[in-house]
Amino acid sequence: MLDAPHSPLLCNIAKHAVEYPEKVALVEGDLRITYRQLALRIESVAAYLHAMGVKSGDRILLAAQKEVEFTYVYFAAHLIGAVNVVVDSAAPVDRLSYIISTVNPVLILGEGIDNAPCPCVPLRGNPFAAIGGDRKIVPQRINGDAVADIMFTTGTTGLPKGVCLSHENIAGSAGNTNAFIGTTADDIEALALPLSHSFGLGRLRCVFSVGATLVLVGNFANLKSFFNILEKEKVTGFGMVPAVWQYIKRISGRRITRFAGQLKYIEIGSAALPVEDKHLLMELFPDTRLCMHYGLTEASRAMFIEFHEQENRLDSIGQPSSPLVEACVMDDKGQAKAAGIDGEICVRGNMVTKTYLLPDDNHDAFHGAWFRTGDWGHCDTDGYYYLTGRKKELINVGGEKVSPETIEDAIKSVGVADCACVGVQDPNGMLGEVPKAYLKKSENCLELNDIKRRVAQLLPPHEVPALWEWVDFIPRTDSGKIQRLKLKQ
Amino acid sequence: MDKKVKEIIARVLNVDIGMITDDLSSGDIPEWDSVGNLAIISTIEQELNLEFPLEDLFDLTSVQSIVDEVNQLTHA
Repeated sequence: MLDAPHSPLLCNIAKHAVEYPEKVALVEGDLRITYRQLALRIESVAAYLHAMGVKSGDRILLAAQKEVEFTYVYFAAHLIGAVNVVVDSAAPVDRLSYIISTVNPVLILGEGIDNAPCPCVPLRGNPFAAIGGDRKIVPQRINGDAVADIMFTTGTTGLPKGVCLSHENIAGSAGNTNAFIGTTADDIEALALPLSHSFGLGRLRCVFSVGATLVLVGNFANLKSFFNILEKEKVTGFGMVPAVWQYIKRISGRRITRFAGQLKYIEIGSAALPVEDKHLLMELFPDTRLCMHYGLTEASRAMFIEFHEQENRLDSIGQPSSPLVEACVMDDKGQAKAAGIDGEICVRGNMVTKTYLLPDDNHDAFHGAWFRTGDWGHCDTDGYYYLTGRKKELINVGGEKVSPETIEDAIKSVGVADCACVGVQDPNGMLGEVPKAYLKKSENCLELNDIKRRVAQLLPPHEVPALWEWVDFIPRTDSGKIQRLKLKQ
Repeated sequence: MDKKVKEIIARVLNVDIGMITDDLSSGDIPEWDSVGNLAIISTIEQELNLEFPLEDLFDLTSVQSIVDEVNQLTHA
């Protein structure tokens, strides 16, 4: 069953299917899928992909959906050595078009993709049953360092960057994370994070890697429903971004504390969480492991901190997540800086990507095997890392990374002479950062309300600037680059 | 007022007004996520010049519940 020596994750699923075949692996509403069923369906969908002509090394565009079928396809692609390109089908058309033209998929699975250049099969309605296919597929000889997934991040230039993650990378990240958090096969996790993001997809891999149970939940919007699921399914852990914690506090007050006794762990990540919130979480969840990661799609879960254990280091991002991960603060030439001195935080280890999809994106991305995170900070003499700034200019809106250039392009398209966007602290205290737009008027310029309305039609809600300001000029360098730091100051 | 509330929800979520049925709940469609839910609450508060009591926010989980709450607040 699941003959895939190249994929440690599939090997683990196969092992669970043999050791406890009737254990529930996956829950979606009233549907319950055991580990045995999961393994069989992965094989069956792999046969379907094979019948559709998908070969080892081919790329499949997979629209992330919180449905069991997504899980089957995701792992089935790995089984035959195909590469998953996981996308959010609700992403802007320009982003999806760019991704499709860059990866040239042989097959698209999921809804919401228009003008597909290859066969496009919706995931809903079990399309795999209709075609069937030979369930015996010929095992492929694939190396563990072959690419398993390509995840697209928001690039600083505005164009998305494809991150190639090998089978070893994704299994390494899951192993490091499970070891730190202490997740076991007895755990039941509610997954309300988006699967199109490294955090959410990583949680899915962690759960199946360790043989626990995953409960799929749409999102956190309906907290009443989320809390009902925590109760009904006896959930022992979940992941959330800091913006979700702010949301839980605002919408539900302290209702979540009634689950404090059953929650073994909460993983937090993707953006900064104020220290006072860390203290509050510790107070509300005295016996829960509160594990906050620092990481990037390129280097998932590079560091961890557990709030109770490292109460005196809550202002840090913690330490490397496992003995297989190293971090170092470096200068621009890749020389290590002494403790306490700021520089660029670099990481290497089993979960770090070896390359971006496009060779040009590798420029300045690595110092040898060290991945340059673009984040600035220092390490103290006890080996704890602290962030002090960000070299890259992305705006972190509640965990969603937004390129300022994408927003600027949208604003300019509705007619202003010049503009610049920066991330500023959310005045409502919910999202961490929000975009702020500085605008320079042009002749026949629209009124601000009209600009806002038109920009809102061009961008997803989290990319629409929350704050707007007219300025006489946009500060630029001699070479024409926007000096965003000056605007922030 | 029902129509106005539904218009705001549709506009904030950037979806067709036809999707905003009485029984549509937060989380039912990808657009109505936590960020969308907060935007709905703050936009209704601003545009209709009212303030939802904090203790009621937990129960505002569907179009109908929001409409009912707005009606209650505006007729109070």
